[in-house]
Amino acid sequence: MKRELNIVVNGESYNFFIEPKTLLVQVLREMLGLRGTHQACDSSSCAACTVIVDGKAVKSCSILALQVNGKQVTTIEGLADGTNLHPIQQAFIDNWAFQCGFCTSGQIMGAKAFLDENPNPTREEIQAAMDGHLCRCTGYNMINEAIRDAAKRLQALEAAKKVPAQRAPQVQKWMQTAKSGKGAA
Amino acid sequence: MKEYSIIGKPTPNVDGPAKVTGEAAYSIDITLPNMLYGKLLRSPYPHAKILSIDTSKAEELPGVKCVITGKDTPGGKWGLWRRFRELADQQALATDKVRFIGDPVAAVAASTEEIAEKALDLIEVEYEPLPAVYDPIEAIKDDAPMVHDDFPSNINATRHIEWGDVDKGFAEADYVREDRYVIEAAHPCAMEVHNSVASYDKGTGRLTVWTSTGSPYFVQQNIAEALKLREGDVRVIKPHVGGHYGGKNSTMPDAVNAAILSMKTGKPVKIVFNRDEEFTTTEHRTAQHMALKIGLKKDGTIVAFEAKAITNGGAFTGLGATTLFLTGTFITMPYRIPNYRYDGVRAYTNIVWGTSIRGFGAVPSKYCAETQLDRAAKDLGIDPLEIRRKNAVAPGYEAPGQYKFESCGIQACIEKMAVRVKEKWPNVEKDEGIGYCGFAYMSGGIFNWIDTPYAYSSAHVKVNWDGTVDLYSQAADVGQGHNTVAAMICAEELGIGIEDIRLHMGDTAHAYTDLGAWGSRETLMNGNAIKDAAGQIKQKLIDLARLKLGENIAYDLVARNKRIYLELRPERGLSYYDLVKDAIRANDGVPLTGTGHYTPHNKGMISPAYGMGIMAIKAKVDRETGHVTAQDVLVVHDSGQIINPLGARGQVEGSIHMGLGYGLCEEMPMDQGMLLNPEFVDYKILRTRDMPEIEILDVPTYEPNGPFGAKEAAEATIAPAAPALANAVYQACGAEFFSNVLKPEKVLKAIREKEKKDKESAKSKAPSKAKGK
Amino acid sequence: MPNYRCPMCRKICSEHLDLARHYLGQTDKKHKDWLKTQGLSYAALIKAQVTEFGNKGYQALADVLKKTAAEVNEG
Repeated sequence: MKRELNIVVNGESYNFFIEPKTLLVQVLREMLGLRGTHQACDSSSCAACTVIVDGKAVKSCSILALQVNGKQVTTIEGLADGTNLHPIQQAFIDNWAFQCGFCTSGQIMGAKAFLDENPNPTREEIQAAMDGHLCRCTGYNMINEAIRDAAKRLQALEAAKKVPAQRAPQVQKWMQTAKSGKGAA
Repeated sequence: MKEYSIIGKPTPNVDGPAKVTGEAAYSIDITLPNMLYGKLLRSPYPHAKILSIDTSKAEELPGVKCVITGKDTPGGKWGLWRRFRELADQQALATDKVRFIGDPVAAVAASTEEIAEKALDLIEVEYEPLPAVYDPIEAIKDDAPMVHDDFPSNINATRHIEWGDVDKGFAEADYVREDRYVIEAAHPCAMEVHNSVASYDKGTGRLTVWTSTGSPYFVQQNIAEALKLREGDVRVIKPHVGGHYGGKNSTMPDAVNAAILSMKTGKPVKIVFNRDEEFTTTEHRTAQHMALKIGLKKDGTIVAFEAKAITNGGAFTGLGATTLFLTGTFITMPYRIPNYRYDGVRAYTNIVWGTSIRGFGAVPSKYCAETQLDRAAKDLGIDPLEIRRKNAVAPGYEAPGQYKFESCGIQACIEKMAVRVKEKWPNVEKDEGIGYCGFAYMSGGIFNWIDTPYAYSSAHVKVNWDGTVDLYSQAADVGQGHNTVAAMICAEELGIGIEDIRLHMGDTAHAYTDLGAWGSRETLMNGNAIKDAAGQIKQKLIDLARLKLGENIAYDLVARNKRIYLELRPERGLSYYDLVKDAIRANDGVPLTGTGHYTPHNKGMISPAYGMGIMAIKAKVDRETGHVTAQDVLVVHDSGQIINPLGARGQVEGSIHMGLGYGLCEEMPMDQGMLLNPEFVDYKILRTRDMPEIEILDVPTYEPNGPFGAKEAAEATIAPAAPALANAVYQACGAEFFSNVLKPEKVLKAIREKEKKDKESAKSKAPSKAKGK
Repeated sequence: MPNYRCPMCRKICSEHLDLARHYLGQTDKKHKDWLKTQGLSYAALIKAQVTEFGNKGYQALADVLKKTAAEVNEG
C-alpha cells in the first residue's frame, strides 16, 4: 500500500505517494529526474550515491525515502547558485579531481557535508572522512588536494563576510538621503 | 622543448562544469518516451547444452512486452578479431549451449525493471550440464572438454615472436635462471556498469544505440554483424562514460539484446547490468601461467631471454588474442635483448573472457620479468637500478621485425631517478625496501585484426563565420580527458582558444571514424588526425594572409593568439576573425573545412611510439602480520610532449592506483567457474587511505610520430606498480613472489620460506665442529 | 640457394625452421588437416612449443618438413 512522502529537495517541496520499499535514490533519479546522483554498486560500498539530508552525508541507495520524510535533501544539482559554481565544485575543476566523473557527485556532496563540520581539515582527516568513497579513475590524491583547496576557498569567503564593506562616498551620501526621506522613490 | 600557447599548459577539463554539477549524462541516465526495460536470463552452469527453453509463463506476466531466446535473434556472430572469421565467436544469446556462468540465454523487455526481473524467474530452461574446464593448462590437454567446436585442445590463439639466436645466447651466458609464475585475474571495476539504450525506427529500418563504451565504432560494427544490418544503418552514440579501462571494448549482450528487443517491440529498450553481473559476466584482465628464462653476463648485460605464456582466455576471443601478442612484446621493454623467443597460447575455458584491460599485455608480463630481474641482480651482486640502467635501450633501438623506439628517454629517466631517489629516500629503515621497475607502452596499435577498411582515426574541422569551430570525430573520451586534449590540439593548430571550439565526439553519425580508446591511441592517432584537419584550414588562412599582407615570400607566417602574423615580425599580421570572414567570402559562402586522418605505416608490428620510464616504490613489510604498506611512489616518465599536464598527472596517479591494487588486494577467486566476490564489499579496490603520495618527474622528449611530439601518457604506468612493490618487499626481507597479489598470508609464507632457505644455507656453510678439544 | 615451399600454401622460406614457424601460425582447416596426414597434431605441436623452453614444437615440424617440403630454386 502506498504511503505519503513529503520532502524538500534542493529547496523545492514535493509530495508523493510511494511504495514503502522505495529507496531515496529512486525518488531522486526516477521520480524527480535528478540524475546527477549515481549508483555504482549494490552493496552500499561505494558512496557514489551520497546526498545531504539535514546537513549529514547519506548514501541515498541505503535509506528508504520514507525515512527522510519531512527532511531537507540536497543533491549535486542543488549545490551551485544558478550559474555560479560552489567553491567545492570549482576546486574540483581546478584540481582535476575527477576523470570519468561518475563518482564525482557523491565525492562533492560527501566533501561538502564534511567541510561544513570540519572547515580546516588535515590531509589525514580528509582521507578518513572520504574513505567511504570509491573512485577508480583518480587514485584519490587529486581529490584530497581539491578538498584542501576548497576548504581554503570557503574559509576565505567566510573571512570576507566578517569585514564590513566600505561604502563608497557617493553611496554614503545616497544612504543619508534615504534615511531622511528626501530623494526616496 | 618548444613553448606553445596551449599545449603543455595545465588546462581544466572541458567537461568539468557538466561533471561537477551532475549535468553530464551517461547512458545509464538516458530515458526515452515509451522506453521499456530489459533484463537478461543467464546460465547458472559453466558449460551445458540447452535442451529447451519455455518462455510462455514469462510472456503472460502483465507488463512483459517481449521475450526472446537464441532462436529469435538474427543469429549473426561478431568479434573484434573478425579478420579471422572463426574468432568472431560472440552471439546475442546462447543457442546450442552455454559456455560460462552468466552466459545469457534469454532476454525480456517489460514496462518496468521490476517486472522484467520477475519475468526472468518465470522462464524455464532445461540444461544438460557438461564437463567444464577452468584452467588453461587443463584446457589444452587432449581430453579436455571442448568449449567451442573446431578448436581442438581449446587453442583459441597462439603467438610466436623470435629474433636472434636464443639458444646460442643462453649457451654464452654466465648466469641463467628460470622462474614460473601464476598470475591472477583482476576486474576493471568501472563505476558505471555496462548499460545500453537502443531505439529502432521501423519506418527507416535504422537503429540508434546509446551505450557505455570505449569505442562507438566497434559497437557499430559488431551490432551490424549481430543484427545483419548495414553498418550505416546503425548509429552508436557514446555519451559520457563512467569508466572503461579496456573493459568496454567488446560489444556486450546489453547493447545487442536491447537492439533486438527494440526491433521486435518498436519501442526503445534499456538494459542495465547490476554490479553482480558486471563482475561476473564482463571482461576482465586475463589470468595466466608464465615461464621466464633469462641469461646474463657477469656484469649484468642481458644476452638471452625466453618467455612462455599460457593464458586463460575464457569463453570468447574479445581482444584477448591481442593481449597474447602484446604479452610477448611489452615483456622485453625497455631493455636491449639481443636474443629472444616468446611463445604464447590463449586457451578457451568455461569462465568469462579475459581481454584488453588497461596496460594489456604489459601488466602480468612485466610483473614476471621485473621480479625475475631483481633476483638475477641480487645473485650477480649488482644494484637493481644499475642493472636496469645497463640494459636500457637508446633512441633508435630496434627489436628486429617488431618495434622501434624513435623518441626514447629511458636512460635520462633512470639517471634522473638515481639522483632523486637518494634525495627523497636517503635512509631505508628496517623492513623497508625500495623496488624498481622499468616500463614502456604503446601509443595505439598498428595491428588491424578488427579488419577495418577505414583510416584508424579521422576528424573533421569546420570554421564558421564568427570564428567558432566545430570539431567532429568518433574518438572517445572515457574519462581520460581526450575531449580536452582534442580541443587543445585543434586550438593550438589554429592559433585560437579552447573556448572557440565546440566538440562533437563519440557519435558514429559524424562518420569520421576512430577506433576508440584503447592502447593509449587517442592522443597520438586522433590527435594527428585533428592536427591534420586543422592544419589544412590554417594553411588556407596563411595563404590568404600572405596575399593580403603582400610581404616578402621569405617570411614564415604563424597562427597564434587569434592572429596570423609574420613569425619574425609579429606586429605585422591580421586578425584570425577577419581572415575567416574573408576566406568564407572568397569560397562562395562555404565555411572553412578540413578533414584529417591518420593510419601508421612502416612503424613495425606494434605502435608508432612508446611512452616509457622507471618507477620506484618504497614499501614496508610487517613481519608479524605479512601486511605490506606502499609508503611512497616515485615515477620518472617520458611521455614525449605532454599535452595537458593536469590530465597526464591524473592518468598516472589513476593507473598507479590500479597497479597497486593488482599487487595488493584485487583478485577474482572462482569455484567451479563461479566468481566468489562479485561486489565491492568483497572485491577490494584501494581506498583513499591506502594510497601513498606519488611524485612524478617528467623527462620531455619529442616524438616525431605524435602531434606536437606527444605520445602515450599513463597506460604505461600501471604495469610497473605491482612489480616495483614486490621488488621493494624482496629488497626489504628477501621474500620472493611468483604470483601478483601480496596478501598478508602469502607474504608471511614467503618470509618463512626465505628464513628456511637462509637457515639451510647457513647450515651447509657452517664448518663441522671438532669433537673434543 | 634452395628455398622450401609450404605444403599447403604459397609461402616460401629459406630455412625449414622458418617454414615450421609460418606453418604453425596458420589456423585454417587445410593446414591443420595436413599435419594429421603426417602423424602430427596441431595441438600437440603448439603444446610442446609453449610448455617447455626451447623450440620443441617447431623443431618437430621442421624435421618433418625437411623430408616433405618441396624445394624451390630461385632463378
